Amino acid sequence: MPYQDLNILVLLRECSDPRPPAKAITRGAGISDRGLRQIANPADLSALEEAIRLKESLGASVTALAIGPERLDDLLRLAASMGADRCIRFWDHGLDGSDAVADARVLARIVHILAPKLLFTGSRLLDRGDDPAPALAAAMEAIPCLAAVTDLRLNKNSVAALRKVDRGGRQEVTAPFPCAVLFEEVAVSRYPTVDAVAAAVRAPVEKWRLADLGLPFWEVGATGAYLTLAEFGVPRLDPVRVVTPDAQLPTFERILSLLSGGIKAREGKLRTGSADELSAGIWQVLQEEGIAP
Amino acid sequence: MMFPYLFSPLKLGTVEVKNRISFQPHLTNLAVGNLPSERQMYYWGERAKGGAGLIITEEMSVHPTDMSYEKLIDVYHPEVIPGFKKITDYVHQYDAKIFAQLNHNGQQGDGSISRLPVWAPSPMPDVLFRETPKAMEPEDIEEVARYFAKSAIHVREGGFDGIELQFGHSSLARQFLSPLTNFRTDEYGGSLENRMRAPLKFIAAVRKAVGNDCTIGIRMCADEMIPGGLDLGQVQEICARFEASGLIDFMDLSIATFYNLYLVEGSMHTPLGYTIPLAAGIREKIKLPVFCTGRINDPVMAEKVLANGQADMIGMCRGLICDPFLPKKAFEGRMDDIRYCIACNQGCIGRIGMNKLLGCVQNPAVGREKEWGEGTLTKAAVRKKVAVVGGGPGGMWAAKMAGRRGHDVTLFDRNETLGGQVLTAMKGSGRDEFGVIIRNEKDQVDKAGAKVKLGVEVTAEQLLAEKPDVVIVATGSIPKEQPVPGAEGPAIFNVWQVLNNQAELGQNVCLIDYDGHQRATATAEYLAIHGKKVHMITASLFIGAELGPTQDLYLTRQRLLQKGVTFTPDIAVMEVGGEAGAKTIKGFNVYSNAWDEWGPFDSVVLAMGQRVDDALYQSLKGKVQELYRVGDAVAPRKVDMAIWEGHKIGREI
Repeated sequence: MPYQDLNILVLLRECSDPRPPAKAITRGAGISDRGLRQIANPADLSALEEAIRLKESLGASVTALAIGPERLDDLLRLAASMGADRCIRFWDHGLDGSDAVADARVLARIVHILAPKLLFTGSRLLDRGDDPAPALAAAMEAIPCLAAVTDLRLNKNSVAALRKVDRGGRQEVTAPFPCAVLFEEVAVSRYPTVDAVAAAVRAPVEKWRLADLGLPFWEVGATGAYLTLAEFGVPRLDPVRVVTPDAQLPTFERILSLLSGGIKAREGKLRTGSADELSAGIWQVLQEEGIAP
Repeated sequence: MMFPYLFSPLKLGTVEVKNRISFQPHLTNLAVGNLPSERQMYYWGERAKGGAGLIITEEMSVHPTDMSYEKLIDVYHPEVIPGFKKITDYVHQYDAKIFAQLNHNGQQGDGSISRLPVWAPSPMPDVLFRETPKAMEPEDIEEVARYFAKSAIHVREGGFDGIELQFGHSSLARQFLSPLTNFRTDEYGGSLENRMRAPLKFIAAVRKAVGNDCTIGIRMCADEMIPGGLDLGQVQEICARFEASGLIDFMDLSIATFYNLYLVEGSMHTPLGYTIPLAAGIREKIKLPVFCTGRINDPVMAEKVLANGQADMIGMCRGLICDPFLPKKAFEGRMDDIRYCIACNQGCIGRIGMNKLLGCVQNPAVGREKEWGEGTLTKAAVRKKVAVVGGGPGGMWAAKMAGRRGHDVTLFDRNETLGGQVLTAMKGSGRDEFGVIIRNEKDQVDKAGAKVKLGVEVTAEQLLAEKPDVVIVATGSIPKEQPVPGAEGPAIFNVWQVLNNQAELGQNVCLIDYDGHQRATATAEYLAIHGKKVHMITASLFIGAELGPTQDLYLTRQRLLQKGVTFTPDIAVMEVGGEAGAKTIKGFNVYSNAWDEWGPFDSVVLAMGQRVDDALYQSLKGKVQELYRVGDAVAPRKVDMAIWEGHKIGREI
């Protein structure tokens, strides 16, 4: 096997699930975060899929990495179920309030320690677009970085990547090992088997902390960030329309509409009878309400 | 964080409030000598301690002609400043902001208290006070504006973070704005511009007095809900013009007037959050932060209102009277510990309206925060073995308080569920929320470490065998067996039997109402809903004689009339006669003294009073070291006294 020591580090990030219908707020300047959930960034999963395929074809070893709080363990377990060999989650208190530069310091340090031949991740985040941290980390480690990659081929000591360029063009570029490859969302990530998912529940997730990286705390998180938060404001939400009593209506009808709130008056019905009669009665009510078929 | 919107900060003018919960202005009657009192300091401070971001004080009177209630603060006197400083310093230590509400009630006042004529735009008496006012001359308007300014300076010097001007349900400003009360033909009446002139003068005077670094807002009546009065459409226009003046920083809202006070303080029969549509309607038209108040007693609902963009600030009034620590508990996710307001209105508006000190059925500490507020409960010096008999509200409170103090408490109840008479009362029509009293306390009894034994009819012998140090009897009361001659036999039932579905009633029912409260009316409505033809007879002037102060009267009578219930007032019932299926009621008119007879009725339902259930107490007397009784077991009253006494004895033993 020509690539016996082909170790690949895949960075997985989370993003907001865009599938539930989003509700625009502040006249479209933002969306309401209610009902949204966090999912694995699809381009990162494509990158993972590419890595797993290399594992299957060339015997690469795949390490999945997530940077963030404990809920990201779910991403790593997904990676394990898809075939990742090793899962690492890095987090420590005081890491909130970071910016891309501070993030890149962390990633660069992890790359330095693990010394992968290839660093894979998605080219962009589904919800926020470009994330400069992986490219900055590559720069810090002085390794090549290939972005917007749609296809990757491995040569003996280098990679050849097809990447998107402007005006829809495609360009093939090569770079020596080690290098960072940022994938477009092209490869369809596999659907893990039930057994693999069950096994992944118990898959070990290594928890790395700041001390494991040997980074001083002032280089990471809010203290390591160049950006400072100037102001945080909660946007003024546009009202969800509720039925306001029509000012043209007579007063007592306006009062009635406020007090009924569009809801039927709270009145219970007391029914007595045998168990059979009562269950039939309940069934009838459920049918009338359209709850029962 | 369960409530991201509720606990996000909001800027009101120059002031940043840490969350979206405002403890709304309401009368407390706690002022002493028309000056701010220590009791108010602890009262408002307790809500600040409980996590409310903003406190708005009760209305304070800006002018001698405004003395609607005897215990208002006269803010136009500089003597108020030292008291204000104490209050604001106390509130500020809990990271809360406090605004003062300034008001002139206009015609909604009482000249017999001030010994001065009441002032109003036009000589139009208020429906509640019924006193013909003096029509204000232009110099009177200037004087009130001056007094508003003077009062604002006192407020500022007293350390308040902002000022709210009451232009809402009870205010001179609204009387200028409303076509129902303003018939002037000068520059202060007629067109909307003219009607807004005096209110704008008041705002401008206040703004000029305090400068730009003080937050000023107004409380508007979003809809007067009277034929010919201000409606939402007009108020939207008024609010937009107030906003355009650039003089104010926020818009607090209320609804209705004294003509329909039941809409101002919606009772249990009113839907939760019933004013949300009006707040949303105003907020659509203006950019200023809008407050929404009205039966929002629950952080989940509050969060929804904010997330839906229907308001920027949630005004809670009764919710925080009932549980000052609601914001803190919501922040910490301790939803189980929140004591929800049930809008029974008996302790708050029901007492205030009668010029008594503010109270709360479910929170005995209201107005007594210094003695009974959070952190005042001390561990018992000696751990006693305490038996509480009766798991109604009185018993639950006694067990809870004693348990929290470290006593070894066992609570016995004959039913399978805690709650006592509340279990029955909550079955009355529209009274289901009354049962929330049980929900509020049941868990707290457990958390206090009290052991609960249900389904046990405990006897004196059993209790004595346990050798308790203290026995608290909270066995409650039961309906009087025969309150009037002839009131016995097959076709006669009491309210309890009806609500517990133990009565075989005919179609044609007579309900004798010697209660005047929900016990009678909610049962009559319950019967009417179940298809009975109900006739009510009372010795009072009208059915629901006790329902006025709690603002239940209007809607209760409306519902009863809509359901075909008929009334005969003024009758002292002396005898129930006739056979089953053809019962008659004999009595006399208490005014004309003329005797008459009503009937025949298929069945008769009695709401004619309770008697103590004190057999256990009597048999324990002299045999236990410390024996107490609380609530209806002492004398049948209402739930507020049961809780009051249970709380008190739990603290004292």
